Amino acid sequence: MLDFAIYSITIIAVWSVLALSLNIQFGMTGLVNFGQILPFALGSYAAGISASLGYPWWIGALAGLIAAPLIALLVIMPAQRLAQDYWALITLGAAEIFRLTVLNAPALTGGADGLVVPRFIDPTLAMSVALAVLAVTFLLAQRISSSPYGRMLRVLREDEILASTLGRSPIRYQASVSVIAWMMAAAAGVTYAHITGYVAPSSFTVTETFIIWTAVILGGPGRNIGVIFGAAIIQLLGVSSRFVAQWIDLPPDLIANLRLASFGLVLVLMFLYRPQGLIPEAKQVHDAERN
Amino acid sequence: MLSATDITLSFGGFKALRGVTIEAKPGTVTGLIGPNGSGKSTLLNVIGGVYVPDSGQLTLGGQPLPLGRPDRVAQAGIGRTFQVPRLAHRLTVFQNMLAGERDHCGERVADLFLRPGKVKAQERQASERATAMLKRLGLGHKANDYAGSLSGGQQKLLTMGMLLMSDPAALLLDEPAAGVNPVLIEQQVALLNTLRDEGRIIILIEHNMEMIADVCDRVFVLDGGQVIAEGTPAEIRGNETVIRSYLGQPANS
Ligand SMILES: Nc1ncnc2c1ncn2[C@@H]1O[C@H](COP(=O)(O)OP(=O)(O)OP(=O)(O)O)[C@@H](O)[C@H]1O
Ligand SMILES: [Mg+2]
Repeated sequence: MLDFAIYSITIIAVWSVLALSLNIQFGMTGLVNFGQILPFALGSYAAGISASLGYPWWIGALAGLIAAPLIALLVIMPAQRLAQDYWALITLGAAEIFRLTVLNAPALTGGADGLVVPRFIDPTLAMSVALAVLAVTFLLAQRISSSPYGRMLRVLREDEILASTLGRSPIRYQASVSVIAWMMAAAAGVTYAHITGYVAPSSFTVTETFIIWTAVILGGPGRNIGVIFGAAIIQLLGVSSRFVAQWIDLPPDLIANLRLASFGLVLVLMFLYRPQGLIPEAKQVHDAERN
Repeated sequence: MLSATDITLSFGGFKALRGVTIEAKPGTVTGLIGPNGSGKSTLLNVIGGVYVPDSGQLTLGGQPLPLGRPDRVAQAGIGRTFQVPRLAHRLTVFQNMLAGERDHCGERVADLFLRPGKVKAQERQASERATAMLKRLGLGHKANDYAGSLSGGQQKLLTMGMLLMSDPAALLLDEPAAGVNPVLIEQQVALLNTLRDEGRIIILIEHNMEMIADVCDRVFVLDGGQVIAEGTPAEIRGNETVIRSYLGQPANS
């Protein structure tokens, strides 16, 4: 039971980092990124490839943290000239291109079989590392949220033309927030690789992006603590559905599909009845006394 | 001096602007009037960089302005309001005001994390100015309300406040008095006079002829995407063409 708790907390921490990284892009800035699993995969594969080449763990971590922001800029460059709607397509496409490339370059990536990564032997250590990464990510996200920078991200979300009329270049903000968000997700990816001891393309599909989105929409777009809450609920639903499967003896495929369907239902219900999420974005109240 | 020279712009086959030339001098209020659909807002959008003209040039103080780049136009010191106010609706009135602050170091990621003291100082200064400005606009009690919850007239005042936060050299105002209550209109006239006396360039679109006569030094009359007359408010009132095309009809907005 304790093992299970430690495992759950570890997984929730990793997915919370992903949710936070999507939150600063979508919740705060309004960027529709349907490929948020890509920077996560980049981090995981950086860890995997560097391990397979015999480098120490920190080389992989560094590679992941450098590759993710560079690819972020590469991916959003074409989006600069396009309307917001295209961000979704471009990011979705980029993530799939990466996954297919990985599948077709087995010499480097192990193809569909994936790569073995040195694993945290001690589950408590794994949990501590995951929680530490989450803590750093959360503090960064909070600082952004309550800052003048975060305020302008939100202005951008509300009205891009307004932001440019105020003398801001939208793409500069969109690029910088993407760089930060992708580094967060890459850090989660590196951590995840060392937790599971294994990276394979099947962990980085559109479904995974969909799970991050469900956590953000459920928890509260624009609210950091909210999306962590959302990630926790979604992951707990995920692990508990496995128990239910064992209990009532349903085939695992069916359970996996039912789980996805239930996430879809969560999304629809939230959009219809509570678009602000379970813990909505807080109003930033100015306290005149403090000045 | 802010000038727009020979601006043409078509939407599909429809020619919204046909070779419009206007200029506005520092320390004056330049009025832009004309019937509905005559191209006033479109011209302002061209100057502000929201629309890219098919041809024509813009200059500020003799320097060419980039076309179709609202951010660069604003950085050059040209601020504007829109006929339908643009605001960050899910931010408070106060946060909207602070978004008007120019060159905020707290919007640079490096400063944000490495120089928190500097960020805090600029934020405090901006907050003080925002507080004073909101009071002046009669919106002090609304500071912590969501901008989206304000009435149309209050939203117009707020956009004016955001604009003033950036201390612009030129102001492009699209019907700032429409929907604003009469007491506040008088206040706006006083405000415009102050801004003019500070040596700023002001271009004002307005259907309220009284306000035009009160504050404008020079007026351009647009009709069908062309300038049909230009002169002092008194000259415009006596102009036969203008009376026929515009003043003779009741303005409906
Ligand atoms: N984005 C657009 N696409 C197509 N047509 C447009 C667009 N913007 C304006 N127009 C057309 O251009 C003409 C001029 O519009 P504009 O908004 O400049 O008029 P205006 O002089 O500001 O009128 P009003 O006094 O009603 O505000 C109108 O016929 C309008 O329908
Ligand atoms: Mg108009």
